[in-house]
Amino acid sequence: MSAVISARGLTKRYGKQTAIDGIDFDIPAGRIVGLIGPNGSGKTTTLKAALGLIPFDGELTVMGHDPRTQRDALMQDVCFIADVAILPRWLRVMDAIDFVAGVHPRFDRARAEKYIANTRLKPGMKVKEMSKGMIVQLHLALVMAIDAKLLVLDEPTLGLDIIYRKQFYQNLLEDYFDENKTIIITTHQVEEVEHILTDLLFIRDGKIVLAASMDEVGERYVEVMVAADKVNAANALQPLDQRTVFGKNVMLFDSARAGGVSRAQLAALGETRNPSVADLFVATMKGTYA
Amino acid sequence: MNTMKWLLRREFWENKGGFVWAPLIAAIIMVVLVGGVVGYGVASGKMATENVTIRVEGETVHTTSVNVAKSVTPEIRERMASVAANNYIAVGAPIFFVLPIVAFFYCLAALYDDRRDRSILFWKSLPISDADTVLSKLVTVLVVAPLITIGVATAAALAILLFAGIATSYHGVNLFGAVLTNVNFYLAPFYLVGMLPVYILWALPTAGWLLLVSSWARSKVFLWAVGVPLMAAVLLKWLDFLLGMAGGVTINADWIINNVLEAILLGLVPGTWFVGASDLPAPTNSGVPLLPMLSYSWSTLARPALWGGVVAGVAMILAAIRLRRWRDEG
Repeated sequence: MSAVISARGLTKRYGKQTAIDGIDFDIPAGRIVGLIGPNGSGKTTTLKAALGLIPFDGELTVMGHDPRTQRDALMQDVCFIADVAILPRWLRVMDAIDFVAGVHPRFDRARAEKYIANTRLKPGMKVKEMSKGMIVQLHLALVMAIDAKLLVLDEPTLGLDIIYRKQFYQNLLEDYFDENKTIIITTHQVEEVEHILTDLLFIRDGKIVLAASMDEVGERYVEVMVAADKVNAANALQPLDQRTVFGKNVMLFDSARAGGVSRAQLAALGETRNPSVADLFVATMKGTYA
Repeated sequence: MNTMKWLLRREFWENKGGFVWAPLIAAIIMVVLVGGVVGYGVASGKMATENVTIRVEGETVHTTSVNVAKSVTPEIRERMASVAANNYIAVGAPIFFVLPIVAFFYCLAALYDDRRDRSILFWKSLPISDADTVLSKLVTVLVVAPLITIGVATAAALAILLFAGIATSYHGVNLFGAVLTNVNFYLAPFYLVGMLPVYILWALPTAGWLLLVSSWARSKVFLWAVGVPLMAAVLLKWLDFLLGMAGGVTINADWIINNVLEAILLGLVPGTWFVGASDLPAPTNSGVPLLPMLSYSWSTLARPALWGGVVAGVAMILAAIRLRRWRDEG
């Protein structure tokens, strides 16, 4: 299966500022990709380029279309949530469903109504009468009822409380995702998406610094709880990062690095485990804010 | 085509306050006022006895209503009915002045409000082209809104005509039969609809300019839309003055201001093409004849200024579509 998104030398400049610096990446179909980076790293710009919202330089193909010139065709297959709670204030629940049903050939009205039935939303309710969480529920009910091949979610749960966030990702995984769909998520709350992602893309200063599947990440990166007497030996192996937890040194190693270390070697230093994406992210982005 | 239907419906949901309620409330106020006056007159019996003032053949005559019935000869009655049948819709004029105000602010908000509240990101996540979006707003303001206004104004005028008929009946002058058998009474609303294509062409430069500003400005749309033409007018006058002082030449600033700036700011007012025209069909004994007014309206299609405005309007609408496509909302 060919790539859903394929970028070659993708570049975006705002005046003299370079937001994306000639990046290459491929996203295959049927994946849930986490596009993760600090503020201002170029995440949102990359997604906007892919959705045909901004002009850019370089090559970018999304579902076989150039987002610059073929956006209208592209939007038949792609859907996105680009910000939280952005539905217009005058919109009614029933009008929103009618409208999307009217303009979107892949919209399943029954499905949207099923989602809405599970919330406190009423058909006659206007967006301005809703809480932020309810607006997101409505937006989600609309988007999840669209059978899009590619769904792009840019900070979809920002500012929502934990109950909505949990429910959001649960619905996404259980009701929406299947092997024919691809989902790209950017978020600051890495811990919440970690368990649903199949692939990681770390972006820093407009460059891709890590592109790997979760399986590869699991094989490649090892976290070791180093015993006190072996700290010097462990330091000699050049850990990516280290921190102290309850007086113990926790070190992160990249086993794929040139001249790197094997798992067996690391096991001799102490207890090993797979690092969390958040820890890996922090280690990779070290110095970004310095 | 289906998408356009839903886009128009969308505009209606958002703007029915301006396009339906505003003219409707104006109409209700007018009808209630007229109805109240007639009702008061009838109820208090004043109409039957008190002195009344009527104009007969341009002369103001004071008389009592008993004499009114006598002094209104069949010819005069026929003429009154004819005026009523021809021009009853003119009573709805105030409603037609609600339209340009609502339409002006609608155009300014049309491509700006959803950028300001970021709901544009929702609309853009659906398979709707930017050209369709902008065209749906243009159709709303130039076709849907005027048709609603014509409908409401006609209904209000009919109601007021009814009250007027009741009032004259109390003076012993029954006009109903004569009005109802006059073909112009039925054709009047259609004459107005017949003028709509002319209105659309004359309104195009204003609609285009306002939509362009609405699509372009990052804030203060009203200031940009009105301020830029006014500043341009001041600058032109100043330049004209300087050139006149220096070398006795003129760039014809007044002509530019009258033609270009008016076309850009006032085009949404219905009937601008009648203003200042010396060759209008003259009012006759039976009122302003509507059919000649309609054909006069269509004859303005021969004016080059109209087509200059249309070309500029279309260009600005295309620019608005392009800006809508690429404006980065950050």
